Amino acid sequence: MVSLAWRILTHRKGRTLLALVGMFMAILLVFIQLGLFYAVPQGGMLLYDNLRFDLLLVSDQYEYQAQPGAFPLGRLDRVRASPEVAAATALYFGVAKWKGGAGGAWPDLFVIGVDPKSRVFLPRSIERQRAALERPDTILVDSASRSIFGPLDTGRVVDLGDRAVTIGGHYRLGTGFMGLGVALASTASFGRLFPGRGPGQVNLGPIELKPGIDPAAAAATLRRLAGPGTQIFTRAALADHEETYWTTRTSVGLIFGSGLLISIVVGIMVVYQIVSTQVNRQMPQFATLKAIGYGDGALAATVATMSLLIVAAGFVPALGAAAWLYRLIQQRTMLPVTMTLGHVAAVLGAALGMAAVSALLALGGLRRADPADVF
Amino acid sequence: MSIATSLPGRAALHPVPLAWRNLTANKRRLLRSSGGIGFAVLLMLMQLGFERAFFDSSLMVIRGLDGDLFVQSAHKYQFATQDPFPAAELDAARQIPGVASARPFYADWFDMFWKNPADGKIFLIRAFAFDPDQPVFSFAQINAERGRLKSPDTVLVDRRGRPFLGMDRTAGQSQLNGVTVKIVGNFALGPDFMSDGTVVMSARTFADVLHGAAGNPPGIEAGVIKLAPGADPARVQAALKKTLPVGLSVMTKDQLIAFERKFQAEVSSAGPIFAIGTVVGFVVGMLISYQITYTDVADQLPQYATLKAIGYPTLFLLRVVLEQAALNGLAGWVPAWLASILLFRVIGELALLPMRMSLGITLLSLGLTLGMCLISAAIAVRRVVAADPAEVF
Repeated sequence: MVSLAWRILTHRKGRTLLALVGMFMAILLVFIQLGLFYAVPQGGMLLYDNLRFDLLLVSDQYEYQAQPGAFPLGRLDRVRASPEVAAATALYFGVAKWKGGAGGAWPDLFVIGVDPKSRVFLPRSIERQRAALERPDTILVDSASRSIFGPLDTGRVVDLGDRAVTIGGHYRLGTGFMGLGVALASTASFGRLFPGRGPGQVNLGPIELKPGIDPAAAAATLRRLAGPGTQIFTRAALADHEETYWTTRTSVGLIFGSGLLISIVVGIMVVYQIVSTQVNRQMPQFATLKAIGYGDGALAATVATMSLLIVAAGFVPALGAAAWLYRLIQQRTMLPVTMTLGHVAAVLGAALGMAAVSALLALGGLRRADPADVF
Repeated sequence: MSIATSLPGRAALHPVPLAWRNLTANKRRLLRSSGGIGFAVLLMLMQLGFERAFFDSSLMVIRGLDGDLFVQSAHKYQFATQDPFPAAELDAARQIPGVASARPFYADWFDMFWKNPADGKIFLIRAFAFDPDQPVFSFAQINAERGRLKSPDTVLVDRRGRPFLGMDRTAGQSQLNGVTVKIVGNFALGPDFMSDGTVVMSARTFADVLHGAAGNPPGIEAGVIKLAPGADPARVQAALKKTLPVGLSVMTKDQLIAFERKFQAEVSSAGPIFAIGTVVGFVVGMLISYQITYTDVADQLPQYATLKAIGYPTLFLLRVVLEQAALNGLAGWVPAWLASILLFRVIGELALLPMRMSLGITLLSLGLTLGMCLISAAIAVRRVVAADPAEVF
C-alpha cells in the first residue's frame, strides 16, 4: 500500500507540491500558535531560569514572580542554618521612577536587591561585575530594558526615585513581566533607594542545597524550620505554579488557547482538502481496484498512508521555518518564544491527528466508490 | 443576480450566471471550500478581535473619565502609572476663563492590596478615588452610587473583576491594605492587562487606606477639566499650559487616548503578536483558496476550453474564475463572521475582555478575505488563459 500511495503522490508533481505547501503552512500555523501559547508562561519563568537554586522560600501570599508578597529575613536565616543548605539568598524587589527617560519620561524601573557576594544569578556577566555592584549607589542594568529609559551607558548618573545612582555595567537576562526595565542593586544600595522597606521584608528566598540532597525531602524539613506565613517550592512545583497562574488566572490561556484550537481546525481543513482532492482525482482508479477485488480496508490503508506521507514531508520544512520564525518573534516582541522538544512532539502529534481526521473524512467519499458508477 | 448580468452590453453574450452555477454545482465541494476558507477567516477575526480588546481594555478608564481636558504629570509615559501632583495645583486652573470645573482624580496601581473576603488571600488591585460631590467618571453605575461613598471607609467594587478577587460576591466588607472597608455598591468595568480588578472610593477613604487617617493627603493623578459652554478647547488648553507649572501637561481627551495608544503599541508585545496571527491566517487562507481555484479550474478545463472555442473571450473566462473565487470567499466569510460574534461573546465573558464586533473589524476582515481569494485566484487562473481548445480534446 505504501508504494501505491507513493505512486499516487508522485504521479502529478505540481499537485503534490501544492499539497506539501498546504501541509507546511498548516503545521507552521500550529507551531506559531503553540509557541505564543507557551511564550507568556515562559516569560514569567525568565528570572527563575536564571537563578541558581533547588528550593524557593516565599511568603504564603505569593501570587507569581512579580507579585510575590514578603516574609521576614529571620525565616531565611533559620533555613540557612540547616545542615542541608549550602546557600540561602534574600532577593528584594522594588519599583522606582527612572528620572532620565527618553523625551522627559520617567519610566518605572524594577529594581532587584541582592547581596553582591551571593552566587545566586547564573549569568556570568553579573558575577564578573561584582565589584561594580558593591560600589554604593551603583546599579547593573539589564540591556533588554526598553529604549524609553534613554541611553544606558556605563557611568551615566540618573536620579532613581529620590536618589542619584550610577550605571555600573550591564547584563542580559530579559525583563519578562517585571516591567519595562530591570536593574540589580546591592542590598545596601537597595535599602537606600527604598528607605521605607527595611531588610526584614524579603520577596524571594532562593535556597541552594548541598550536593546529593533530595530537594523534595529537604523541602519538608525546611518548611517546618521556616514556619507559618511562608511556603517552599521545589523547582518543578514552582514551574507548575507559574504556568497555572498565567494560563488560568490571566486572559493568556483563553487568548492563545483559542488561537491554538482554531489553528488545528484550519490545519484539519487544509489536510482534508488535500487528501480528498487526491482521492477524488483517483476515484476511477480506486473503483477499478475495488472491481478487481481489493477491499475497503486496503483502500483505506492507501489513503491513510498518503495522508501520513504528506504530513511527514510537510513537517520537516515547517519545523525549520518555525525555528526561524520563533527567533524573529523573539527579537521583535521580546517574548521568549523558544523551540522545545515538547513543542516538536506536540505539533507532530497534532499534525498526525490532523492527518488521521482528514483521512477519515476523505474515506467517506472513497467508500462510495462504486465500480459500476465510475465508468 | 450575478455581477455579469449587471453589465450592459456583456449581458447578451452571457446571460448565464456562470460563476454562481459553478459554485453551487457541487454542494459537498462548496461546503468543503467554504469550511476551509471560513476557518482561516475565523482565525483572522479572532486575532483582530483580541487586538482590539487589548487596546479597548487599556483605554476604558480614560474613555470613562468625564472631562474635556486632562492635567497630569508631564513625566508620565503611560496613564496607568504613579506620578501624583498636589491637588492644590488645580486652583489655578479654575481661575482660567472657559474652565467650568477642574476636579481631582486619585488613582493607584501599585500599592493597594485587596483581601478576598471569601478566602482571605491578598491581591494587588487598582484603586480610583474622587470627591463624591465632584464626580469624574461618566460610568452611570458609579455615579448612581457615589453618594454612599460619603461615609468613611466605604468602597464600590468591580463585579467584573477577576473571580479570584471575590469582588463578585455579595460580601458586606473586606480589607484594603489592612483597613476594614464597607462594600456599599458595585459597577461593571472589568480588568485590563495590568490590573485584575478595581475599587472606587472617596478621596478621604483613599487617603485613609494609603497613609492612615493621620497621614499626609495623597497627590492626584489627573485633573479632570470641563469646559464652559462655548469655550474653545484649544485656547483653554493653551492658557492652562501657560498657567500651570512646567511639570504638568494638558491634553484633550483625544490626545490622552492617542498618548496611551502609542505607549501600548510601542512597548507592549500585543500588537505584533496579533498581527502575526492575522498574517498567518491570511496566508493559510490564500493557500486554501488557491487550492480550491486550482482544483476547480483543472476540473472545468474542458468546459472553459469549449467556451473559448465557441468564441468567448479569455477576459470573460478570467472574470468568471475571479467572480467564483470572490463568491467562495464570501461563502466562507459570512459563517465565520457570524460564528465570531458568538465566540467574541463567550470569550469576552470568560476572559473578562471587551470583545466586540466592530464595523472596522467587519470591513477589514471582509477586505482581507476578498484579497486572499482574489490574489490566489489570479495566480491559479493562468491555466485558463493558457487553455487551448485543440489540446483539451
